[in-house]
Amino acid sequence: MKTTTNSQTKGKSQGGSLWQSIFMDWDRVQLVISFALLALLALSPLVVKSPYYMSIIILTTLYIFTGISWNIIAGFSGQLLIAHISFLAFGAYTTFVLYITYGITPWVGIFVGGVVAALLGLGMAFVTLRYGLKMDYFALFSIALMVALKALFLKWKFVGSTIGLTISLGEPGFSKMIFDTKEPYLYIALGLTVIGIMVQYRLYHSKMGKYFLAIREDEDAAAALGVNTSLYNTLALVIGGAMAGVGGGFYAMYVTHIEPPQVFDLGFNVEIMMAAPIIGGLGSLAGPVLGGVVNKPFAEFVRGFVAGGNPAVLPIVYGLFLISVILFLPRGLTGVVHDLYLKVRRRYTSNKA
Amino acid sequence: MTILRVENLTMRFGGLVAVKDLSLSVEEGEILGMIGPNGAGKTTAFNMISGYYKPTEGQVFFQGQNITGLRPDQVCNRGLTRTFQVVKPFSHLTVLENVMVGAYAHTNKNQVARDKAREVLDFLGMGDKTELLAGGLPIALRKRLEIAKALATEPKMLLLDEAMAGLRPRETDEVIELVRKVSKQGVALLLVEHVMRVIMSLADRIVVIHHGEKIAEGEPQAVVRDKTVIDAYLGEAQVDA
Repeated sequence: MKTTTNSQTKGKSQGGSLWQSIFMDWDRVQLVISFALLALLALSPLVVKSPYYMSIIILTTLYIFTGISWNIIAGFSGQLLIAHISFLAFGAYTTFVLYITYGITPWVGIFVGGVVAALLGLGMAFVTLRYGLKMDYFALFSIALMVALKALFLKWKFVGSTIGLTISLGEPGFSKMIFDTKEPYLYIALGLTVIGIMVQYRLYHSKMGKYFLAIREDEDAAAALGVNTSLYNTLALVIGGAMAGVGGGFYAMYVTHIEPPQVFDLGFNVEIMMAAPIIGGLGSLAGPVLGGVVNKPFAEFVRGFVAGGNPAVLPIVYGLFLISVILFLPRGLTGVVHDLYLKVRRRYTSNKA
Repeated sequence: MTILRVENLTMRFGGLVAVKDLSLSVEEGEILGMIGPNGAGKTTAFNMISGYYKPTEGQVFFQGQNITGLRPDQVCNRGLTRTFQVVKPFSHLTVLENVMVGAYAHTNKNQVARDKAREVLDFLGMGDKTELLAGGLPIALRKRLEIAKALATEPKMLLLDEAMAGLRPRETDEVIELVRKVSKQGVALLLVEHVMRVIMSLADRIVVIHHGEKIAEGEPQAVVRDKTVIDAYLGEAQVDA
């Protein structure tokens, strides 16, 4: 087996057993790590009986999915999209309006929500490209848009204005996506996350994914090699936006009530969109999952055991935690695991040689 | 057959005229050298030809078609690819992935792009570097990677912006050989270069630019004996060397 000793290498399989072809390929290892952690979440109902803990596990899973949607835009294509949560809000409102006003099942509604969010992404891309907004200006634009949308939704009677929208629980039912136990919600969230991980992996290993990465690394250099940077920036916003919209639809069905101050909120945006990829390693394949299994449980731990009923404690401790990760683990948990992985692999290959 | 024809290109930035009324042409398979002092407008001319700047006046024709005002990616897809003076590797991608980005210009298939990238890297003598991260390469290899990425787009013509600046003499010689190999495959070349030795050994013809204007054009031996060229440029270049 030919390997290089440089620590900056990415392994590629060179035949051998299935196990070996996975072990030698870091991207596949990340896929295995992701699915292993999801399997733990899937098995958790065997041990976890308390609805409170189940709720944390469900939201942990959902935040992995929404984290993936942001990872594709910010981590892959490198667009500095801050207020990603507008997509989630569009998906949530679409699902609720369709369900409450028109009686359309959320199983359809959340995907229509994804389409509506994708259209928002298309609109954002149009404005961005038309006015040449890049990096910090794009970040500001996304925040300004979120604030404007919040003001609009607060006044808009059709979507409940300040009161927001609430689904009446009534009789549970599969077609209504309303259940009297927690487990079904967990398995829906897991289903979405499995799809999310596969989409992210396939994308990463496609022409489109490589173009996203090239744009992130150097937009001018990408254009010089024939990459239509406008088109691919737009595609990233549409794909990531659609996923966040679907996540928003499910989120609404799970929490049963949405209102503008809750879904157009930067603090919530950090928790549900940005934290998992940042803790896990922005732009990496395993990042949203590795970060996700830490993110929500950590926040709840602080809320439940450290804060002692003082609402100011959570944002402070949580914020300091995120800052520490950015300062001391810029490549996130995936970076730590990757270094470990390279050590193990080097030992393994040198033993064989 | 003329592959590239530039007619009366002018670029103004506010009151500053960076390039003034520049016309030149490159024949198929030819190597045209472009020289001139720092700030003469060479890179600005490059940026106009490759679609990064929209010229204030003038037009660019590639293979007979007017490509003035096209985007850089459209210019590349017509078969005219450029490199950058300040190299722009995709630092967090491997060398192979860097070159694959170029190779995707002609395919959607990963395997085809991967094979093409390997072929180009072998051609440039970088076949053993495929799995390294581009950001960690020494400057000589990063310069070479820049050429590899461009070649992977299968250009009919390459614009090389100081592909040899900052290299040691031996490294420079290696790149000169590479450029010859590329040229032998029928790719036309426009070279911007400061190192006179490089231009003299590679170029079929030379264009000299000074203060944004073309002051001389012709065969290398004739141009270096030109009085205006010596006054404007070579005098100082020889002091540099």
